[in-house]
Amino acid sequence: MNLLEKLDFPTAFRELSPILIQGLGIVLGATLCGFFLALLLGTLIALGRISKVVLLDRMLIILLEIVRGTPLLVQLVYMYYVVPLLITIVGQLWDPSFRFTLSPFTAGVIGLGINYGCYLSEVIRSAITSVDKGQFEAALALGYTNRQAMWLIVIPQAVRIALPTFGNYIIMMIKDTSLLAFITVSELLLRTQAYASQTFLTIESYTLLALAYLVLSLPLAQIVRIMERRLTRHV
Amino acid sequence: MCDVMIEVRDLRKSFGSNEILKGINMTVKKGEKVVIIGPSGSGKSTFLRCLNFLEIPTSGTVRIDGHYFVKPNEKLNEKHVAALRTEIGMVFQRFNLFPTMTALENVMAAQMKIRKKSKEAARETAEKYLRKVGLAERMNYYPSQLSGGQQQRVAIARALAMEPKAMLFDEATSALDPELVGEVLNVIRELAEEGMTMVLVTHEMKFAKEVGDRIIFMDGGVIVEEGHPKEFFHHPKEERTKAFIKKVEH
Repeated sequence: MNLLEKLDFPTAFRELSPILIQGLGIVLGATLCGFFLALLLGTLIALGRISKVVLLDRMLIILLEIVRGTPLLVQLVYMYYVVPLLITIVGQLWDPSFRFTLSPFTAGVIGLGINYGCYLSEVIRSAITSVDKGQFEAALALGYTNRQAMWLIVIPQAVRIALPTFGNYIIMMIKDTSLLAFITVSELLLRTQAYASQTFLTIESYTLLALAYLVLSLPLAQIVRIMERRLTRHV
Repeated sequence: MCDVMIEVRDLRKSFGSNEILKGINMTVKKGEKVVIIGPSGSGKSTFLRCLNFLEIPTSGTVRIDGHYFVKPNEKLNEKHVAALRTEIGMVFQRFNLFPTMTALENVMAAQMKIRKKSKEAARETAEKYLRKVGLAERMNYYPSQLSGGQQQRVAIARALAMEPKAMLFDEATSALDPELVGEVLNVIRELAEEGMTMVLVTHEMKFAKEVGDRIIFMDGGVIVEEGHPKEFFHHPKEERTKAFIKKVEH
């Protein structure tokens, strides 16, 4: 029979939509947690590198090279399957009954957070260094300590500079949560795969999946643009 | 207690192997206005920045109203340095207003954060000083909506709102369009008349002559000559001073 005649989008939409909507929470949850972790790590790495402590800088550069030189998918698999085993091995040095596991979701969030944290650290670092040095000095002259000047005066301005880039990274991360399917997180891709293999509605299922990602990322891109305009009004 | 506001002893500053300041001694009395002039590269801006430890001297001491930034043979304590900096206002060549805050917020921020004032009290003080520099109507404008002269006046108000014991001006009018220099100089002049202790680095010789109680001429990282403005400009003693005055007076 002709493939075209067998197309049944209404059925696929009716049956797959609720399944996708259930998976949406996982996608948004993983993105939110992952991005928060990435921001935290990224800021710490950026500040570590700006601090000009040579040893710290070297170590951070090695970390960045490892993370940027390996695929995200491999990192996620490593975080889920290998890291718990490594921790178990170390833990058993003290307590032979020690066992350590990570849930797929937690491993995924940590993996996304570390990977994106490394990329964000470069964004944050260049944003911080692009803030005029005079801003820092003006704050010091008013009596701010180095730390206060950095966190209260320089970083808020750096955030404004970096914000559009952050927005783009969030959208990228939403799409990259699909990789969590490979470590058994039942996000959108894994659910769609299951549905498609049961119903053989292959074209319909994956088309709807792609549309679901578009529905998520397009409005976000718009929000990022609006925020960018508002925040950079006076910079 | 004592009538000395700023006391500098044998101040030296090197960047790498390059010695910028080669042993400077200076005393500024309370209420005194000292103007530092000199060719570019003479170290005058670096010297001014050492007075509030924005530049940390390689050796020597700086005392503000009797308090050392760092006591001889002691280690630098960042919190103490920050607290002492609060007592000295600084105005920069390039204003350095915080672009994400309105003029009013610029003047309020440090009062609340550093002086721990309530929002209401900070606002009252901020309005007072913005009025003083003639910008009461512009206090809700962002720096990007103000002219250079207005921005610099906000910067002066921001420094004054901390109620400092002394003010440092680092070429406060050098980045301004010529027609905007006057409004800033007027504010500084008014401050001088009120008895504020001031150290100014400037290229405005006429202004230096007018407000300065004492002129310091720096060249090559040392004080070459100092004296009362009249004496200094009309009867300079050193050859280098004579050459400099000749150059700038036409």
